[in-house]
Amino acid sequence: MGLSRNVSLWTGLRYKGQGPYLTFILHRVGGLGMGIFVTIHILASFLGGEGGVLVNSIYENWMFQIFIFFCALFHAINGLRITLLDLFPKLIEHEHEAIWIEWAVFLPTFGIAVLAIVTTALGG
Amino acid sequence: MEITIKIFRYNPEKDKRGHHEVYKVEGNENDRVLDILENIKGNHDGALSFRRSCAHGVCGSCGMRINGRNHLACKTLVRDIGAEITVEPLLGLKIVKDLIVDMDPFFENYKEMMPYFINDSPLPENGRERLQSPEDRARFDDTTKCILCACCTTSCPSYWANGNYYGPAAIVAAHRFIFDSRDEAASERLQILAETDGTARCHTAYNCTEACPREIQITKAIGEVKLAQVTGTLK
Repeated sequence: MGLSRNVSLWTGLRYKGQGPYLTFILHRVGGLGMGIFVTIHILASFLGGEGGVLVNSIYENWMFQIFIFFCALFHAINGLRITLLDLFPKLIEHEHEAIWIEWAVFLPTFGIAVLAIVTTALGG
Repeated sequence: MEITIKIFRYNPEKDKRGHHEVYKVEGNENDRVLDILENIKGNHDGALSFRRSCAHGVCGSCGMRINGRNHLACKTLVRDIGAEITVEPLLGLKIVKDLIVDMDPFFENYKEMMPYFINDSPLPENGRERLQSPEDRARFDDTTKCILCACCTTSCPSYWANGNYYGPAAIVAAHRFIFDSRDEAASERLQILAETDGTARCHTAYNCTEACPREIQITKAIGEVKLAQVTGTLK
C-alpha cells in the first residue's frame, strides 16, 4: 500500500535544481525540437504538392527558424560541455563556471543569428 | 515570528491521493525545519509522520523536499529559506505515509554495489592491517562521507524516469571501494555499473551534487567511474 513512485513531467520540471538542471532540460527541448524539424522536413519532401508547400511554410517560417536554431546551437554547445567534462571528470568541480562559459558562448552567437534571421525576414 | 508551513499529507488508510495541509506556527529564524515538524507533531497534529533520528545531519533519516528541493530537515534553517515553507516527500520512491517514503528500492540498489571491503589476498606477514598511503586514502575520501539519506538519488531525473537505475548514491558507494587501493573487486563493481541501469543513465543534470547535504562531488565521482570503465585504469 502507498502512493506510486511515478514522477510526472510537471512535478519533475518544478524541482528546484539550479543552472545545470536548466541546461539538462534545455538539452532535451533542443533534441526534441530537432526531431520535430527533421520530421517536418521529411514529411514535406514525402508529401509534395500543396501539402508539401504547406508543411514547408511551417519550417521555413522565420520564427520557426529562430526556434530550431536555438535548439541546434544549444544542443551542440551543451553537448560539447558534457563531452569535455566526461573526458576530464576533475573539471566537474567547476560545473557552474563551465555553464557560465557555455552561456557566454551561446548568447552572442544566438543573438547575432537571430539578428540576421530577423533582418532578412523583415527587410526582404 | 509566524511561520507558515505547507505539508504534504497522505494516509494510506483513508486517502486515495495526497494533499497539502497548511499550519501556522510560532518560531524563530534559527529554527530548523525539523524543529517546526516536531512542534506540529507534538502540539498540533500527532498523526503527522516523518522520519528523524539523530537530528544533527549524520544519520540521513530526515531527507525531504523543502521548498521544491531535497534537503535534510535537520540542517535547513528558517533564516535560509524564509517563513513560507513547503515540505514534501522525496520523489521517485513510493510514499508510505505523509513524508515517509519506502526506502527499500534505494537500499537494494546500494547493496548491488557490494559496499564492503573485498580482499582475499593473505594478510601482510606481520599479520597486521593492510597499509595505505595518505595519497591512496585521499583518492576516495570524498565518497566516504555519504550518509545514505537518498537526497541525491531522489533528485535525479534519470532515477525519476527509471527506478531500475542504480542512482547516484549507489554509484558513490561503488566509487568508495573501486578507488580503494586495498580492495580487489573494482572490476566486478565496474562490470555491474556497465550494465544498462548503470552509469550510462547519468546525464549530468547535477541535481545530485546540489542536493547532497555532505557536499560530496557526486557528479565528479560518477564521471570518474565512467572514465575508469572506458580506460580500464583507476588513476
